[in-house]
Amino acid sequence: MTSPGGQGGGGALSTRGGGGARRMKWALELSAGNTRSRGDRQGGQGDVVYPIGYSEKPVPDTSIQETDKNLVEKRCWDVALGPLKQIPMNLFIMYMSGNTISIFPIMMVCMMAWRPIQALMSMSATFKLLESSSQQWLQGLVYLVGNLLGSALAIYKCQSMGLLPTHSSDWLAFIEPPQRMEIMGGGMVL
Amino acid sequence: TAAMEKLIVLCLKFIILCGTVDAVFEDQVGKFDWRQQYVGKVRFSHFDTHMQSSKKVLLATENNVFAAINTRTGELFWRHVDKAGQEGSIDAFLQHGQDAVLVVGDGRVLRSWDINIGGLNWEIVLDSGSFQSACLVGQQDNVKHVAVLKKTAISLHYLSNGHQKWIENLPESDTVDYQVVYSGGNGEVYALGVVPHSHITIVVYSVEDGEVVKQVILIYCSCIYSIQVLSAPGFHPALVSTQPNPARPPLSEFFLQLGPEHYLLLQLNNGQIVTLRDFKPVSNCASTLNLFSAETGRRLLDTTLIFNMDPYGGKPEKVCLFSFRKDDSVGYRVMVQTEDHTLTFIQQPGRVIWTREEALSDVVTMEMVDLPLTGTQAELEGEFGKKADGLFSMVLKRLSSQFILLQAWVAHLWKLFYDARQPRSQVKNDVTIENLSRDEFNLQKMMVMVTASGKLFGIDSKTGSILWRHYLDDIPSNAAFKLIVQRTTAHFPHPPQCTLLIKDKDTGLATLHVFNPIFGKKSHVTPPTMTQPILQSIILPLMDQDYAKVLLLVDDQYKVSAFPSTKNVLQQLQDMASSIYFFLVDSDQGRLSGYRLRTDLSTELIWEVVVPTEVQRIVSVKGKRPNEHVHSQGRVMGDRSVLYKYLNPNLLAVVTESTDLHQERSFIGITLIDGVTGRIFHNAVQRKARGPVHVVHSENWVVYEYWNTKSRRNEFSVIELYEGMELYNSTVFSSLDRPHAPQVLQQSYIFPSSISAMEATLTEKGITSRHLLIGLPSGGILSLPKMFLDPRRPEIVSEQIREENLILYAPELPIRTEWFINYNQSVSGVRGIYTAPSGLESTCLVVAYGLDIYQTRVYPSKQFDVLKDDYDYMLISSVLFALFFATMISKRLAEVKLLNRAWR
Repeated sequence: MTSPGGQGGGGALSTRGGGGARRMKWALELSAGNTRSRGDRQGGQGDVVYPIGYSEKPVPDTSIQETDKNLVEKRCWDVALGPLKQIPMNLFIMYMSGNTISIFPIMMVCMMAWRPIQALMSMSATFKLLESSSQQWLQGLVYLVGNLLGSALAIYKCQSMGLLPTHSSDWLAFIEPPQRMEIMGGGMVL
Repeated sequence: TAAMEKLIVLCLKFIILCGTVDAVFEDQVGKFDWRQQYVGKVRFSHFDTHMQSSKKVLLATENNVFAAINTRTGELFWRHVDKAGQEGSIDAFLQHGQDAVLVVGDGRVLRSWDINIGGLNWEIVLDSGSFQSACLVGQQDNVKHVAVLKKTAISLHYLSNGHQKWIENLPESDTVDYQVVYSGGNGEVYALGVVPHSHITIVVYSVEDGEVVKQVILIYCSCIYSIQVLSAPGFHPALVSTQPNPARPPLSEFFLQLGPEHYLLLQLNNGQIVTLRDFKPVSNCASTLNLFSAETGRRLLDTTLIFNMDPYGGKPEKVCLFSFRKDDSVGYRVMVQTEDHTLTFIQQPGRVIWTREEALSDVVTMEMVDLPLTGTQAELEGEFGKKADGLFSMVLKRLSSQFILLQAWVAHLWKLFYDARQPRSQVKNDVTIENLSRDEFNLQKMMVMVTASGKLFGIDSKTGSILWRHYLDDIPSNAAFKLIVQRTTAHFPHPPQCTLLIKDKDTGLATLHVFNPIFGKKSHVTPPTMTQPILQSIILPLMDQDYAKVLLLVDDQYKVSAFPSTKNVLQQLQDMASSIYFFLVDSDQGRLSGYRLRTDLSTELIWEVVVPTEVQRIVSVKGKRPNEHVHSQGRVMGDRSVLYKYLNPNLLAVVTESTDLHQERSFIGITLIDGVTGRIFHNAVQRKARGPVHVVHSENWVVYEYWNTKSRRNEFSVIELYEGMELYNSTVFSSLDRPHAPQVLQQSYIFPSSISAMEATLTEKGITSRHLLIGLPSGGILSLPKMFLDPRRPEIVSEQIREENLILYAPELPIRTEWFINYNQSVSGVRGIYTAPSGLESTCLVVAYGLDIYQTRVYPSKQFDVLKDDYDYMLISSVLFALFFATMISKRLAEVKLLNRAWR
């Protein structure tokens, strides 16, 4: 058994005095304040007791730093080019799904249209991701262009499937019947 | 062998049952449709007396129907409908034993029917000649022959097979008018002829060989018998005698008719005529029937029968009596026909066994009127109608009406529950006027039918039961009817109002009968008395302060009077006068003329088209139905552009037929003309074609059917009008401002049957595709999709055509058996088809009327807005509940499992 009330830096083992001593033979207290009760310890975050062998001073390692930066840059470019890379894939799916209107092509088109829109809506989050990169603005622009191209592709697909209301026939149902200007009646002489 | 027989019968039954199981919608037969069969106004009637247990009465009617009716129920045993018109008219009806002999078509055909089963025994074609009279010829108590007297000849036929025994020319038939043939059972046949104001000729033939036995000429002054009667002006006496058995001489007692209701019972006794009784007309509301002894003229005891006539019916016109000996007295049953063509069958103590409304065999025009809302619904409606008086009271009113609705709903639920517990047959489903109310989808309506006899009927469209009847007794025989709905049921608390315009074609004078179409009661609104002959009437969309639409009546001076003509209406008319136009078509003069209303209610002629009457005559003029809605203003082409329809509400289709009916030179013409400006848009002439032409004009199309005399077939032709790829003015339509003529497309097809009536389906909003309902002479009603009658049907396929869903052009129109909306319920002699929209967009109500009346619903685009009739509510709801509980239980289980995993 170690002596009660050991060094502040290490984990201290202490026999509990008072009522505790009556119940248990010994207890290991990992917090600094021996006298504090359990509930208090949970509330206090700042005075965490470091584990044995932990040093507060960071150990610099410059050799690894270089490759890390490159990695971040690469990763950011990956993010930025993602939408653009998807375009050939989308083109292929578009070609395969054809122009008939049925459940699968519709699902494809919905996915194709929804993904760029979703990406554009969460632009700020993506920018945060790219924050660490030096070419942040360029990457952002590429990302934006890629998404815009994606949605343009979806719109083109809609157009070729005839889902866009671009023809006069699409507005036919909204034409009200014209109002009659004359009242007319009559017939054969009874 | 008995077991074997049973087995065979069982097998047969099984086969038959298997056959019927295949039938489409067998469970729906009679669910949405009903048919009523009629025979028409009775001309001849006989009770079937040859068998004691027989319960038939045989009727030969003016509608060329020969039928047997069950005397217990009034239902038809069997019915034979002959050709319409003179060709099938029944001239004489003789009955002997179980044979009924009819002379049909002005002596063209002699037919014998077996009255037990209604089968034809034989039929022979008689020599030409105008028919006069026929009688059964008996000898020694056996009736074996039928004698037929024609204008120039007399012939004798065997009763058993119809073969002609002999035929003789009548002597001096060019001067003598032979009228009656008679046989007294002594081996001789007497033909009686009259030379007006000169003498009477009686020719006696021998039954055996047709030799003239003797010929008697009676000069008028040398009267054999004479009696003294007081003659009045317009005195048309008539003799009525009876011959109970054709093999024996007739009764010596006979009736002499002195006036319309004044008869003398006379007796010929040893060369003396004795007056037995004088029957004078009595005027009474309740009719009395008495049996009198023919021998003495005394009234028989205990035979008086008093029955109350329907106050909305007519006076008795004809009586058919069946008397029988009952213990020691005489019993009898009687069938009474009244002026309104109602047949009433009465048993002795004045009990009415059944009535048949035979007036319904001759419906002239009809309308369908929405039923009123229930009292509670009306209460709610009425709340919005009244003027607002303070917020608080409005809230109170709303709460109270909601409470009433809740009460009604609970009562309805209770009734449902109560009915569900009782066996199905006991649930009374009587429809009476009191419990009439509109259903959820407005599928049940009141059919207001106007018949040629002048009797009006209100019929429930769901069940076909007659809810009210009203006989107008002052209808001229030559009357034209026009039924107009002036106020619908939508204007609570004002009652709905219909107006019947009755025009006497001889004098030209017209009367108006204003009534409530739901209850049939005459309205308290007094119609205007019209002293001038009326040419036509126009219903305007204007309303007076009581929401009654304004009816304009045009008299022969081309002056206009309004009904109702309150100050409010006249003011409105003055304001609107410049935009009110009307047209009149005079078929006799071949004149189509258009008029405009002036503010002082006089009119001015603005256009006139004259069709030379010596070349062709105008047969019909068809405008569009005022309650028609067109949802789509154009048609989508294959390249997704729009071809706009030319929807001119003032367009008229005028059909003309040539007066020359020679098959090489006859033609029919159709002209599309604007009723406001008189501008002719299109004129098509079909050479070598003949009527009757049936036309349907709706939306932007006209479909007509005619007989092609060259190819000897029926043909359909369709004309469609299009405005082009651009609309000239999409907000207002004025006939005066449409500079561009429409594009006209036309196509014709061959139809494999002649048709008797045609109409187009009509729906609430006009979204549902249209079908043509065609009544065929075979009794079927065909629902032909309008898609087949489309002038844009191409001859070669292309990508765009396929996109547009057009059917390739084929000259023949098919008749598919599944298109018959009345399956095996044949409708005889369809004269008209009436269509009305229901509250459901998919559903159109159809009534076909003629000799029969048939009502059904059609769904041209299938029932897209209703759950199927056999929708499995139980299955769906049980699956839903099961899934719901399964979700609940699995959720709970998942929670428990998660908790357990957390503890591990």
